[in-house]
Parts: sequence; structure tokens; C-alpha cells
Amino acid sequence: MIAARATTSMDADVLVIGSGAGGATTAAILAEAGLDVLVVEEGDWVEQGSVVPFSLGQMDQQYRAGGVTVAIGMPSIAYTEGRCAGGGTEVNSGLYWRPPGELLERWRRDFRIADFDPDEVLSIADEVEQAISVRTMPGPHTAPSDVLKRGADRLGWNNGEIPRWMTYPHPDQPLRGERQSMTRTYLPRAVAAGARIAVGCRVDRLVRSSERANAAVTTLADGSPGRITFRHVFVCGGAIQTPALLQRSGIRGHIGRTLAVHPTVKLAARFADELNVPDDVPVHQVKEFAPHLSFGGSASNPGLVALSLLDEWRSFRSAVTDWPRMSVYYAAITSEGLGRVTSVPGLRDPIVTYRLSRRDRDTLRSGLGRLALLMLEAGADTVFPSFRGAPAVHTRRDLGTMQQAFSASKATVMTVHLCSTVPMGEHPDRCGADSFGRVHGQRNIYVNDASLLPTAPGVNPQASVMAFAIRNARRFVAGGTHG
Amino acid sequence: MRQVRALPVVGAFAERLLADDLPDLSAPRRREVVAFVARRVDSMPSFTRFGVLAIGSVFRVVMALPAGWTIAKLLMALPLPFVGEYPRLTRSLAVAYVWEHWPHTTPSGGTPTGSAVA
Repeated sequence: MIAARATTSMDADVLVIGSGAGGATTAAILAEAGLDVLVVEEGDWVEQGSVVPFSLGQMDQQYRAGGVTVAIGMPSIAYTEGRCAGGGTEVNSGLYWRPPGELLERWRRDFRIADFDPDEVLSIADEVEQAISVRTMPGPHTAPSDVLKRGADRLGWNNGEIPRWMTYPHPDQPLRGERQSMTRTYLPRAVAAGARIAVGCRVDRLVRSSERANAAVTTLADGSPGRITFRHVFVCGGAIQTPALLQRSGIRGHIGRTLAVHPTVKLAARFADELNVPDDVPVHQVKEFAPHLSFGGSASNPGLVALSLLDEWRSFRSAVTDWPRMSVYYAAITSEGLGRVTSVPGLRDPIVTYRLSRRDRDTLRSGLGRLALLMLEAGADTVFPSFRGAPAVHTRRDLGTMQQAFSASKATVMTVHLCSTVPMGEHPDRCGADSFGRVHGQRNIYVNDASLLPTAPGVNPQASVMAFAIRNARRFVAGGTHG
Repeated sequence: MRQVRALPVVGAFAERLLADDLPDLSAPRRREVVAFVARRVDSMPSFTRFGVLAIGSVFRVVMALPAGWTIAKLLMALPLPFVGEYPRLTRSLAVAYVWEHWPHTTPSGGTPTGSAVA
């Protein structure tokens, strides 16, 4: 482990709060420029391979609140946040999507992001892809992944393998790939350049006077209070914790008002032969209806298969013993709705809410219907949709009944992509941070994580997060504002 | 501020719900699952945890009444916002735990013939 336990009193020129895709890349760029950088992380450093991927044990060790976090609404949307060194990059599927060029252009225009060249961002994406070894799997794909390809091919729908940040030391055993997450890549780079990493340190608030912050009030893992002094601070706690910390520090404005997510609905599909892969996810995705609607595969250990049957347990439970022949799939939408992150005095954690629009609800309905069709085309004998009152789907004739019975309010809606709570740009009515992540109205407080993305990108956002964070950190270095 | 522990609030409800949903789950396993559910509630974000414990307290009072479980089941069947989330949360945590830890559990919670109860 290259991190140390946090202590009650620490200091640095630049404090980076959070060690995920935004924090780790920020720390590496700043440290390599010769700055004195301290990264603090609320969770622990957990070595890869020490926990089973997608298990409850992993949720205990590497997720906030054991993975039981929810945006309140009708329906409520379950979400997860990484809480460990490396953040979400340690626990997610590792699938990599660079930001689409036309989306970058739209963000530049609509949010008035200054000096924002989409080609520069894509060039940084090239660097990132080298640094984290983005590549496709060697050898054959897993059976649950082939299901997506087979079903989409039969329907003539656009689909493909999504590359991952993985290396494959044993090319003949692609399931033994090694995730090139932040603890394997940018955090070691930061440390090699002189940065320090302290784990077990929650930042409760920033101490500010006027437009500057000069210290962070912390709570260590054992409950003891601490303090960190600094000259500049980068808040990289993710789209929930970053706005919450800014609000607890008395910063308001456009902070936490525009949470954007990719809501997903799920189903379990059962096939004639065994196909379940308990500790990995499919690498194929179906993008025929992108960016509004995408299909992919979820983690499908027996517990998660059982969970996917739960909404209609009385009817579906007899299928639970068939889990070796089942896998779980999702339909994800790019939502029009918005959520809020609100810190309330006296509460340790923020209140998160989210409201789906009417169009979102309709898209979830049509998405689940199309996903069920895809599964039937791929050879599923039965599809078990995850909503209360769902019928089992055996043939195309059942799809209409299923869609009629569907309501988003009866469904288990989830998301893993959270962003846009401190949008960047110069638009006075929409942005919480300037075009390089500095919080509007503040002189030395920066945000550099998924919070900055102006809207939900319609694809896995971590490539966008890394590219933006590197761009902004380089600007900070080049601007000399640290001197 | 000292935190109210979840087990005394949610334990009896979770135990009863599991007995209904998975009647063949052995008592030691059921206790293990209930303890897991309570641990997860304890680690929830503060506002959500407060809500869960508030609703859990209502169910706890209801279950202390004569025919309490029947009334609780009626309450669960009503389309009340958030109240329905409580049994759903309890079931979700329980089911995920049972089949992750004992993947060959039968649909009623039993152990397949020939297997020993852990």
C-alpha cells in the first residue's frame, strides 16, 4: 500500500479531496508539475483481488453505506458510490467510453465553456487510454456478453464490444484480467512524483474567510477530529459528496441543483444452457437507440439474480434455483429529469432526490420492452422483468402485456452514473464552477470530478471525468495561480 | 450524538418477514440474515436511516398489537409512498444475502436434499 493513515494535523500546498477518477488524475498532474500535493480519501486502500468483485463483501469495504444509497423520488432511484482509494474506478465494470465529439461541442456552446477545444479533450483521452491500458478482451467473450451480441445481430441492431481499462497477463484466461484502476495507475504516478495519500479521512467542511479557504476540518476513521491546512483545494468527492461538502462549507449558488443520472431498469433472462458468470459483467452493449437508450449486462452472482426476481417474488421465486442458466441485463436511459443534493445542518449526509420526467418514464417502458425482445431473440426461454406486477415473458406475444403492466413507479430503478451537480462554464444561470473548475465566487476552491460534467453524457462518464480533470489541472499549473 | 441501533427496531419485522417469505430457512441462517439487514441499516446515510427507523418503529408498534402481523401485512399491501419501501428494502437485503452466501437455497429457503445446513 502506498497510502498512509491520515493524522490529526496535516498540511499541503494543494489538498485533493477524493482519490477517484477525478482526484487521482488531478493529483498526478499537479505532483508531476512539482507541487506539494496531499490526497485524502475517506475510505480505505483495498488491494485488488482481496475482495470478490460485485459481492456484498466488496460493498462493505469499497462502497459508501455498503451500497445502500438512494435518491428519493417516485420512484426512488438506488445508486452506488465508491468509497475507497481509487473511488468508483475500483468497483465499476471498467468499461470505457470516450466522450462523443458532438456532445463536447454542445457542452461548450450551451454552458459557455471558455477555451474549450473538443479536439484537446479527445487528445487527452488518447493519453488516458494509454495510461490505463484501454483494450478489448483477448479471446472469446463470456456467454452473457454473447447474448447481447446475438440478440442485437438478429434484430439488426447496432452493438459492439466496449473496451475496458484492463490488462490481461494470461491472454488465454480473459476473466483473469487486471483492472487498471486508479490504485494501479494514476495514484502510484502521483506518489512517484512526491504526492502523499492519506486514507481514513473524511472532510467535514472547508474553513473559509471571504473568497478563500485555508483549512479543512476532518474526522478520522477512529472518530477523532483533525485539520488540514492548504493554499489550494481540489474537491473531487464525486457528484454527491462534492456539492455536499461545498454546501456544508457555506457555498451555495449553482451547487447540487442539477444532479443528472442514467436511470436503468432490469430484467433477468433464463436460457437453456448454463451461462452465469458470477464475478464479471458482459462487455457488449447495444447502442441502436443511443444516446437516449442503451442496453448492457449487469453483475449476476446468485444473490443479484435473486434480487432481480424480487419485485414479483411470489410468481418468480421458483426460478431462483435456475440462476446458473440466468443473467441480468439492463436498459439505461439518458434522463431529462433532474435531481438535487442538499446538505441539511445537523445531518452528516446529504439528502438526495431525483424526479423522472414523463418522457423518462415512457423511455424506461419502451426500453424494457425492447430489452425483453432482445433476450427472446437471443434465445431466452423466459424473461423476468424487475417491476411489481410483472408477467413472465415467454414469447413476443407477451411483450405487449408486459409493457401495459409496466410503470416506472413499480420498478426497481437504479443508476451508477452520477454527474452534473457543479456544472462548469461561464453561463451565469447554469454553472457552479468556471470553465476550468474553479468554484464561482471562490479564489482557491476547485472542483475536478463528475460534478463538472454539464449533463449526463449518455455513456459511462469516467473517461470524460479523467479527460476534464487532466485538462483543468494542466490549466491550473500553466496559469501559475499556485505560485 | 449516539446512534440508535437498528437491530431492536427492524429485527422482529425482518425475522417475521423472512419466516413468511422463506419458511424453510433455518433459524440460525435467519438470525444471520436479520443481523446483516440491521448492519446495513446502521450504515445507511443519516436521512435515509432516519426514515427507515421511523417507518420501522411504526411497524414495531403494529406488530406488538393483537393480530399485529396481519395488520402489518395489510399496511404493506397499501400503496403508501415510502411505507412500501421498508419491506422492499428488508427483502432485498435478505434475498441478496441468502443466495450469495448459500446459492443452492431452495425457493422456500430450504437446504437442498443432501446438503448440510451451515
